[in-house]
Amino acid sequence: MMEELKLGVFELTDCGGCALNILFLYEKLFDLLEFYEITEFHMATSLSEGNHYDVALVTGTVSTQRDLNLLKEARNHSEYLIALGTCATHGSVQGSVELPIREKLKAVYGDGGNPMRALDSKPVVEYVAVDFALPGCPYDKEEVYQVLMDIAKGIEPVRKDYPVCLECKLNEYECVLVKRGLPCLGPITYGGCKAVCVRSGLGCIGCRGPLPGEVNPASEYEILKSLGYDDEYIIRKFKTFARWEP
Amino acid sequence: MIIEMREFTRVEGNGKAEIVIEDGEVKDVRLQIIEGPRFFELLTLGRHYYDVPDLEARICAICYLSHSVASVIGIERAFGVEVPEEITLLRELGLIGEFLESHSLHLYLLVAPDVFGYPDAIRMATKHGELVKEGLALKAFGNRLRVMVGGREIHGINVKPGGFGRYPTVEELEEIERESEVLLRLARRAVRLFAQLDPYGAKAKHFVATDGYLWGKKLISDEPGEFHYTERIEERSLVYSFAKQSRYKGEAFFVGALPRLLLKSEMLTPTARRLFEEHREKLETGYVSYNNLAQAIELVYSLERANEIAKTLLDRGIEGENVPVEPREGEGIGYVEAPRGLLIHHYRIDNSGNIAYSNIITPTALNHAMIEASLLKEARELYGEVDEGRMIGRLEETVRAFDPCISCSVHLVKL
Ligand code: SF4
Ligand code: SF4
Repeated sequence: MMEELKLGVFELTDCGGCALNILFLYEKLFDLLEFYEITEFHMATSLSEGNHYDVALVTGTVSTQRDLNLLKEARNHSEYLIALGTCATHGSVQGSVELPIREKLKAVYGDGGNPMRALDSKPVVEYVAVDFALPGCPYDKEEVYQVLMDIAKGIEPVRKDYPVCLECKLNEYECVLVKRGLPCLGPITYGGCKAVCVRSGLGCIGCRGPLPGEVNPASEYEILKSLGYDDEYIIRKFKTFARWEP
Repeated sequence: MIIEMREFTRVEGNGKAEIVIEDGEVKDVRLQIIEGPRFFELLTLGRHYYDVPDLEARICAICYLSHSVASVIGIERAFGVEVPEEITLLRELGLIGEFLESHSLHLYLLVAPDVFGYPDAIRMATKHGELVKEGLALKAFGNRLRVMVGGREIHGINVKPGGFGRYPTVEELEEIERESEVLLRLARRAVRLFAQLDPYGAKAKHFVATDGYLWGKKLISDEPGEFHYTERIEERSLVYSFAKQSRYKGEAFFVGALPRLLLKSEMLTPTARRLFEEHREKLETGYVSYNNLAQAIELVYSLERANEIAKTLLDRGIEGENVPVEPREGEGIGYVEAPRGLLIHHYRIDNSGNIAYSNIITPTALNHAMIEASLLKEARELYGEVDEGRMIGRLEETVRAFDPCISCSVHLVKL
């Protein structure tokens, strides 16, 4: 058998979901372990033996000095680094709180702030070059499986470049934006989640980040305005998972 | 001298501890939550209530539904909305799924390796594959409930003020009814396994929980009377941690599976109740390590209760009607039992339905002082008696007994 690839999972500041989602692969995790050996993953193992990683998965935002150090360490010691999840690719929800860090700390900890050093939450793509960015809050677990399998087989993984809308069409879900007037960000959001929220009859909240390129946020904005949503509401909705772009 | 523990492993989020030694004795222990703050209360300020539960879900992935449900209940209370039994039963089913998912992750994948002497469940699987598989089966079932009620395994947006986006089908409920029965055997085996663990950590003096098993209108404790959190619980900032620390009437206290069992055993389902009685003496000593055993008993409770709820819903049929929600100025608190213990979402909302004030206190923040007390006791007992590596190993196990969820403990705010 070929030599196993060394895999490291590094968790910065986040909800833990993108790391947890790896454990939710169940049997597929064991399939991955045919190709990979996990040498760093502190949510799952007490071993920490790596100083070189063939693949590093980094989840979360850089929100402290510790996060930044860990990110640099992961980058310096890995061949292929994947920014995993919308925190790492776009800053996710904590990245959308637009206030200077000093004021945020004051609001939480009182006038003295907190003597521990915190940074304004930013995605990892702001600090280091990444080899692949896989958004999703969290990403679809089949996707990470596919990407890791591709890499193990020497294939460069492909990034999805279509909106959630396309997945609604493929699954024959009724369009909640047109048919029910719900604020749905499907037209301007990265597909890859199988439109799971529209399956529940609800509008996409954009958790996979904004799809760049041909999509047209201006027309989405007009549609929402014509449905009666006010400017501030729409802008906040647009920006929730989208302050940065990889 | 300070002994620094490295970052905890097999817990969720980033934290560590320092043990302060003076004159050859353990003087103090500091639990440092080093995960960065995420400012959820600020994030929700000024936002329309309808979008808030979906954002709050992102506080924590392991217990996202507890956050959505606590948020939804807080919002409904602020508006004076009452939902019918069908909706409360379905929410309960979702929370039960979360208990199963979270407790089995904790017990089988994070704690069991300590019991058998492995660094993780993957390596443990070579010798104890059956056990790992059983844990994964329970976890997967829990996640199926989360998908059914919550919309996805992690951060689904199906739970809304006044009801759901989508309601489960008869086939789904039948499957829940069937499987919950089949899996019960595994959960009972878990109780036997975790009943063997030694007592360690401190003995908790105070316990706090909601007045219902999975959520409540008020809180209860080991002392008489029901109360709102503002009456007895206080938070303060620490210089060495991003998480704030809470105290009950000025003292450390415990929330979680063990406090729930001790305060609410009469609400348990039959088999869970029997198992509780069987192990009552042990559990009543209040050692925090018995939280693991309590979680195993809650696995049994969860499966029995899921079965009951599925039966009830199948008998009465699902209507799938949401209750209309009209925003008005108001204040509401959602108290929910997350897998790790009491969770508080407190909101004030203005008359256009936007959030004007929000305060969230999570189980790990509530337990912060109790974790420190347990580490202190354990370190005092072991320092100088065993080598440092052994001591630190046991201290990590002590932290793990709380099943701390660090991500969620760091965005507390009093505005
Ligand atoms: S992207 Fe979403 S699911 Fe992933 S860690 Fe961040 S908040 Fe959690
Ligand atoms: S439908 Fe939208 S909000 Fe839902 S998972 Fe997909 S991208 Fe995220």
